[in-house]
Amino acid sequence: MDKENQTVSFLKSITLNSRAWSIWWNLCPGLFLSSLLHSASAALNLYTAVWLSARMITEVAGSSSPRTVISLALAQVLSASSFSLLTAVLKRFKTYYADSASCLYHRIYMDKMFSLDYTRLDSQDTYSLYSQIIQNDAWSSLGIHETVSLFETFTAACAQILGGIILAAPLLSAPVPPGSGSLSLLNHPLCGCFLIGLMLLIALFSSFCADKAQNYWTLYAPKTRLGNRMADFYISAAKDRKRALDMRIYNQSEIIAKFYMEGNTPFGPSSEIARCAKGPMGIWAALSQSVSAVLTVMIYLFVCLKAWAGAFGLGDVVVYTAAIANLFLGISQLSGALGRMAANGRFLETAFGFLDAPSIMYQGTLTTEKRSDGQYEIEFRNVSFCYPGAQDYALRHINMKFPIGSRLAIVGANGSGKTTFIKLLCRLYDPTEGEILLNGIDIRKYKYVDYIDLFSVVFQDFKLFALPLGENIAGSCRFDSLKASSCLEKAGFSNQKAVMPHGLSTFLYRDLDGRGAELSLGEAQKTAIARALYKDAPFMILDEPTAALDPVSEAEIYEKFGAITRGKTAVCISHRLSSCKFCDEVAVFDKGNLVQQGSHDLLLQDPQGKYYELWHAQAQYYYPENA
Amino acid sequence: MEKAKKASHSLFQSTFFMFSNAWQTSKTVLFLVLALAFLCASKAAAELFMAPVILQKIENAAPLSRLLGTIAAFGASLLTLTGLEAYLRQNALFGRIAVRRHILAEIAGKATRTSYPNTLDTDFISFESRAYKACENNASPTEAFWSSLTDLLANILSFAAWSFLLSGLSPFLLLFITASSVCGYLVKKRTIRWIWLHRKEEASCLKPMDYIRQVSTGRQYAKDIRIFSLQPWLLRTWETAFGQYQRFLAKREKFCSISDGADFFLMLLQGCFTFYWLIRLILAQKLSASGFLLYFTAANGFSRWVTGIMDSFSRLHSQSLDLSVVREFLHWPEPFLFENGKHLPKDTNRSYEIRLENVSFSYAGCERNTISHMNLTVSPGEKLAVVGLNGAGKTTLIKLICGLLDPAEGCVLLNGEDIRQYNRRDYYALFSAVFQDFSILEASAAQNICQTPAPMDAGRILECMSMAGLTEKIQSLSNGLDTKIGKQIYRDGLELSGGQAQRLMLARALYKNAPVVILDEPTSALDSIAEHDIYLKYSQMTDGHTSIFISHRLASTRFCDRILFLEQGRIKEEGTHQRLLARGGSYAALFHIQSQYYQEKGIFHG
Repeated sequence: MDKENQTVSFLKSITLNSRAWSIWWNLCPGLFLSSLLHSASAALNLYTAVWLSARMITEVAGSSSPRTVISLALAQVLSASSFSLLTAVLKRFKTYYADSASCLYHRIYMDKMFSLDYTRLDSQDTYSLYSQIIQNDAWSSLGIHETVSLFETFTAACAQILGGIILAAPLLSAPVPPGSGSLSLLNHPLCGCFLIGLMLLIALFSSFCADKAQNYWTLYAPKTRLGNRMADFYISAAKDRKRALDMRIYNQSEIIAKFYMEGNTPFGPSSEIARCAKGPMGIWAALSQSVSAVLTVMIYLFVCLKAWAGAFGLGDVVVYTAAIANLFLGISQLSGALGRMAANGRFLETAFGFLDAPSIMYQGTLTTEKRSDGQYEIEFRNVSFCYPGAQDYALRHINMKFPIGSRLAIVGANGSGKTTFIKLLCRLYDPTEGEILLNGIDIRKYKYVDYIDLFSVVFQDFKLFALPLGENIAGSCRFDSLKASSCLEKAGFSNQKAVMPHGLSTFLYRDLDGRGAELSLGEAQKTAIARALYKDAPFMILDEPTAALDPVSEAEIYEKFGAITRGKTAVCISHRLSSCKFCDEVAVFDKGNLVQQGSHDLLLQDPQGKYYELWHAQAQYYYPENA
Repeated sequence: MEKAKKASHSLFQSTFFMFSNAWQTSKTVLFLVLALAFLCASKAAAELFMAPVILQKIENAAPLSRLLGTIAAFGASLLTLTGLEAYLRQNALFGRIAVRRHILAEIAGKATRTSYPNTLDTDFISFESRAYKACENNASPTEAFWSSLTDLLANILSFAAWSFLLSGLSPFLLLFITASSVCGYLVKKRTIRWIWLHRKEEASCLKPMDYIRQVSTGRQYAKDIRIFSLQPWLLRTWETAFGQYQRFLAKREKFCSISDGADFFLMLLQGCFTFYWLIRLILAQKLSASGFLLYFTAANGFSRWVTGIMDSFSRLHSQSLDLSVVREFLHWPEPFLFENGKHLPKDTNRSYEIRLENVSFSYAGCERNTISHMNLTVSPGEKLAVVGLNGAGKTTLIKLICGLLDPAEGCVLLNGEDIRQYNRRDYYALFSAVFQDFSILEASAAQNICQTPAPMDAGRILECMSMAGLTEKIQSLSNGLDTKIGKQIYRDGLELSGGQAQRLMLARALYKNAPVVILDEPTSALDSIAEHDIYLKYSQMTDGHTSIFISHRLASTRFCDRILFLEQGRIKEEGTHQRLLARGGSYAALFHIQSQYYQEKGIFHG
């Protein structure tokens, strides 16, 4: 956050900006071409009109020959309308590319997210950085997106400056005829230099004043930020339907209005920044705009004095004043754009900081040979793990061998390390200490994609996508519908037809299709299991498969358990211990340690053991003598 | 016709709505609209006259001092006008933001205070989200209204001034330019309408892209995406949508270029017409060079004001439609009585009997009754348990009892009186509840428990926390009770796990100490040992209160006086756990399904 309050040097901002442009160039070259052509056409339109109307004035002031006047008028009307048409059509192209670019923009980050390894992705830093980038973009497209409009402004300003220079150049060279007294001083080259210097100075001063005024926002930003967050929370809480019950029973409406809105007016008329706007901030803003009037006066003075002294005629007065005024507009635009570019530098730095984030995990090169017999043996050897940034170890000194083809249940209280264990097994994280071996070789030495291919996982917080059912199961646009249906059946999705009116092409949820199927928790879980089955990997991992289900659905899943895990090495995590009965072996975790391992019957024989305690905490409700 | 009448009606009402909000919140807003409009128009006039007047001085070879004086005078007025305008614009912002925030707070207030059934009504929900949308940012109708109004006034002023000037040239020209500008505007309006009519098509391309972006950059999806190598699938879906979007864009720009073509012809015509009048005057030697410049610039610029008026008026009009949504939302009818209902004093010592008489309820769009013909009496001090499968109607029953929903048939009685006659907020005060969804505030742990901003009874807070099993956690925090919860507002806030959140909500319910305690699956996020711990403390927690405990784990409710087994919105069986098992009905059958996994030879008899 603090980093964004520091500016980067101007040179640095140029480098950053060019890098952003080269990204855009690769994504969408039409963006640049259409912008260039549009700017050129717009400038041409502007200056042709100025030039032609000046010729007309010369004609009116002079001989006013009907033929010339009429042909000039025709030329003016024709050129103005045709150039306007050309500019308008080119603008259509520009809009087309700019709107496409707004979508392509997101691809930059999507691709990066996909290529990041999970450890890096899951870190708080990555997300803070990303959400900062998103916020910057939402708040006035700062960052990579901004460089698109910067390019547009640059080309427009340059075209305008160029045209202005071409038209205004003769002003300096046209001499005041001799004998006009002190006015012949205007012929002195210094006068021209003075005018050019003044123009640049005023452009700079104007953007300096604008910056000054703008800086008050940055200055007060930290003070307003908390207030804004409070108001945002107030609104998001009011919108949140999940809060609706508590809001009423605990009368939270009044409370949150008091908490977050009373006296919280970071931008109200009595706020500090509003008082500032009445004083210095408003004055700087006024100066930045009105200083151009000084230039206007100087231009008129110079041009009119020269004309008054007889250096050129009335028509040229119009050309020169209009050309210089537009030239000046071009310069102010350019200096404004350069200022924006410099200011955008630090946001680009944030963006590239994210895009350049290296992967943390070691990327191996070995391939896991595809074995049809599923003979993959995994062993944890003295594995300890501590989440990045956390103080306590989530897992300590785990030693464990997975018996091939057997079913393992992992049990333990909340926070005992069950899910972390799974994350290490699937190489979402690498162990802090120790190693995990696949057929005797450290799993880090395998190609990541190959290794991860060995696992079908139904996470506790699994996600399905609001896309067609069949695609969800296969994880791809094309799928084998027979296989997908049989996986659904195996997972126990029996009333599929009723829920999915269009079969496998039914969309899940209503995000993208109003006729999509709203799945109940149980149905979603079965679909996730079907997806895992479709992948048909040698390892099947189920994390809390029945947590949210009612007893009937729970029983259904258990009945299917054998079919689901047939021929695979299966791991099932649960804090409902009833699931252990279906497994050959039980591993008991407690506070990050593997405290017991063995068959259900064996473990229950130890009344001092953790398993005994866990089992009885639940099972006691079902003892007949208590009932 | 009807529609047009309604629309103009809404413009009038919306203007009144905005004016009265501004009057309450920040009166300067109104003054600044007038001042800015006037400044804009004056600046435009000064810019128009500057070049011709100065040119005239040169043309007439006026004395140098007059020339310089004229330049200086125009310079000074431009300086003042631009400076003042920029200054006022900078200052106009704050009042406008205040008005928008005021309206936003009213919307949020309505949303959080409205009768609960409204929050389930899809019409209400859509009006609510449209109302919020009208207050989203500086460009939203509740703020942009003022700039549209300013623009409209400024354009009207300039239009009047230009008309005055050009009528000296030719009233016909004036009419022609006005008419042709209106035509051009109408064509442009058609293209805007085309875009509006095709917004669904546009959304159908943008939505998938947006969705894919959200899931591919969302943390919760990352695990599944990696394990199942979903990247190619998601990217292909994105690319398909993007291709579609590009085709849409091409189609849109093609259509909109109609308006460019129309502009071309109108410019051509306007140009010819203008020059016709001007050349006639020139050739008749009635027009000086400076006069030509003045009229030529004025005629060229005139259509800008015509278009400007129509454009700002149509913006104002569409904003007023959005504003009328806001107004309608704020005046949404309330099915419940609140301040206008009978007062119900909160008296902890009084005993309350709640009775349901032949209560039926169904959600909108649902054919089946969620609760049907239910009769139930909850006596004071009773410990009631409600069990049943998902969808049996447990949570709906609770909502009916709490007065969050009103029955479609039958009634809910409090000590024999229909609850609908009371101020519903007074009635809510009778309940301490932990629902499945809850509202944790971004505030300190203590404030979350007491639900008041001011410091409070620390002893009782700690007592409630210990009962909910939170003591250990709170003691481990350096700020203890003052630790902020959540990271949305306070960056150093504490994020609670599901289990901790559930315990905090339990502590809050205990602190409220209302006559009736309602717990809806309060242990779903806890592990078995923690769950057992809560059960053990249950009677202590609910001592002296009426309590209703909901669970889908049948046996966990054995500590209650009476268990209701719900099925399809009816009380299928009721009684104590033993009685229900002995009966051998549905409850017993379901209990058997659950318990079979725990029954193993050698355990029960060993």
